[in-house]
Amino acid sequence: MKAVRKKRLITVLVLMLSSGLGSFLIIKALDSNLDFFFTPSEIFKEELPNNKRIKVGGMVLEDSVSRNGTNIIFKITDYKESIEVQFDGIVPDLFKEGSGVVVLGYLEDKTLKAEKVLAKHDENYMPPSIEIEK
Amino acid sequence: MLVQIAHFLSILSTGLFFTTFLFSFFFSNKDINITKLISRIYSHGFLLLLTSFLIYVYLALDDNFSVLYIAQHSNSLLPNFYKVTSIWSAHEGSMYLWIVFLCLWGFLYSYFVSYEDVLKAKSLGIISIIAVGFLSFLLLTSNPFETILPVAPIDGADINPVLQDPALAIHPPTLYLGYVGFVIAFANAISFLLNGDKNIIWEDSVRIWSISAWVFLTVGIALGSWWAYYELGWGGYWFWDPVENVALMPWLAATAFIHSLSVSSKSKLLRIWTILLSIMVFSLSLFGAFIVRSGIIDSVHSFANDPERGLYLLSFAGILVILSLAIFSYRLPLLTSNKNIVSFSKESFISINNIIFGTLIFSTMLGILYPLIYEYLYLQKISVGAPFYNAIFVPSTILAALFLFFSIDSKWQRTYKIVNTYSPMILSVILSLLITVLVAILYKISNLWILVSLYTGFLIIIRYIFVIFNFFFRSKYSNPYSISAHIGLGLLIVSIALNSEFSSERAINIKLKGNDTYMGHEINFDNLELIKMSNHDSVRASFIVNDPKGKRFILSPEKRKYFTRGQITTETAIHATPLKDIYITLGDQLDDGSWIVNIQFNYFIRWVWFSAILMALAGSLLAFSLRRAN
Repeated sequence: MKAVRKKRLITVLVLMLSSGLGSFLIIKALDSNLDFFFTPSEIFKEELPNNKRIKVGGMVLEDSVSRNGTNIIFKITDYKESIEVQFDGIVPDLFKEGSGVVVLGYLEDKTLKAEKVLAKHDENYMPPSIEIEK
Repeated sequence: MLVQIAHFLSILSTGLFFTTFLFSFFFSNKDINITKLISRIYSHGFLLLLTSFLIYVYLALDDNFSVLYIAQHSNSLLPNFYKVTSIWSAHEGSMYLWIVFLCLWGFLYSYFVSYEDVLKAKSLGIISIIAVGFLSFLLLTSNPFETILPVAPIDGADINPVLQDPALAIHPPTLYLGYVGFVIAFANAISFLLNGDKNIIWEDSVRIWSISAWVFLTVGIALGSWWAYYELGWGGYWFWDPVENVALMPWLAATAFIHSLSVSSKSKLLRIWTILLSIMVFSLSLFGAFIVRSGIIDSVHSFANDPERGLYLLSFAGILVILSLAIFSYRLPLLTSNKNIVSFSKESFISINNIIFGTLIFSTMLGILYPLIYEYLYLQKISVGAPFYNAIFVPSTILAALFLFFSIDSKWQRTYKIVNTYSPMILSVILSLLITVLVAILYKISNLWILVSLYTGFLIIIRYIFVIFNFFFRSKYSNPYSISAHIGLGLLIVSIALNSEFSSERAINIKLKGNDTYMGHEINFDNLELIKMSNHDSVRASFIVNDPKGKRFILSPEKRKYFTRGQITTETAIHATPLKDIYITLGDQLDDGSWIVNIQFNYFIRWVWFSAILMALAGSLLAFSLRRAN
């Protein structure tokens, strides 16, 4: 019986060790690939490294959109602070001044260089701000 | 009046399903007449529900806008086809369809499976109580039969234009058929545990049902991916959006499950795995419904936020999972086999496969839930994107593919004599290495992960080509379904690797009659016209593209404005060739009159979907062959 017990103990230990190691690796991968989500006011409160990818959500500030070739520059605001965003490419159909937007990108000298611009919408594909007004 | 009848019929069917449940749990299942009675009650319940749904379809076709849901999601100008599909374009109606499909699987099960099957009565009882749970959810929190009284609106608010698309019309039904199809396996597993006779091979009878459900799930996911690519203008096949991930998890679990199932039905090994996986597949389907319908996760296409719905679904799914796991642990001694798994046997490879798939599911789940946990702990919003999933999925898939390579020609319950397969194995290793090196040099690929992925993909494909050769010329038997599905996997790995290596995009700024060059393709902005359609205005741009070989083609992307909702949509223009898609979307017009146009070169993207279809095809052929064998 002793041999059986020993064998079981080893099995259990190997199982626990490998699943522990697996979980550790997965969580490590998770931690190094997170995108932090901020509102414009929060960005300037925290010291952010330039090479960290972040997400910023808020409203597109009225009269802040300007274009230069394929580049678009606009400000995201939470009506307390705002941050300038630079993006090269096509913004989504629902993108417009005064409506909700989420930007994924890197911070460079207080400007957000955007990789992706997403407009927010719910199941009816309307920007949330319109829903609130109704 | 009709809507009240439909409403009443669905309540009545809920009652019949509840009766089915009570009968199956309080009467002896050994009596064949009781099983017959239970099947009948269940079938009548289903027929009532089906009638109720058909009335609802008629109401939608008939533009009955006194029904709130139809008024919100349909319109009298819509073609009949979209009047029907508008039923599943939002929460209430799609939930309704989901439940009808759930009960349909149960109905087919009750029709095709013999009354001799001792697990049948309890299985139907379990399916019924799940149906009761969801029907109550539908009727109490998301009633599609709600009416607008006293005066109905003259016209409906219209279906969302991006949903007016044939792919979307069939994508949700196919996906739902896949999700809920696993209820048969789940119900049989629980029924088997409750019964407690370990000599019953429940795994045998659920194989055909599970493989069919898996086929629907695979096709449903592929259709969704294709729709997002060409209709939503996302320009890719997968985005690791939470809503995609909640469909991927049941698929992964289901894939592991059908592998494990074939072991258990053949040799009664891995039974614990198989039962656990059957519980897991169905729970993950319910979890998906919870995530999508509660609005708890920030996603591009989740339904509106409603805590009441979320709470109901979470509690119902939670109770179901806890009860199943409790029964499972109580009956655990029943499942242990005194046979050991032989090393290097087919079973051993499939158990490794189960572990890898388990890891992938766990990681995906973590990726979905981690933002919630993190926000709760640190009051900081985060999101988990593609880099995390790539870091987990790429190495795991490569590992799984390598184990698959070694498992080909392994035997059931016997160890594997490597000498037997020595030459095809060595040859495949060398040949795929040669091809990978050749591709790397010709196309200047230096990314190690891409090269390793290409290598494993080629390895699988070439190894199976040898198997096919032996099958035809040395009449050595192999399983044709397994061959085609796994070649699909090899192809999928190769196409994903090549797609991520070569695809590129650029936004250009172009004036009418102007031209630009991208990747050797000359793009001329030829024409711009305004088109008035019955329900939208459209701006259509025409680009004449000259490719480096001197071929010419025209691409006409559009921007549309729909009248009823004032919504603007973008219609992409795609030129598809076997190797690549040239994909153009029209952006905004600038003050100087020029337009922003986005051009993408998407390599091998068709092959990604083709691989998925190949897997599904293999699955459906297997299901047919099992049907004939029965």
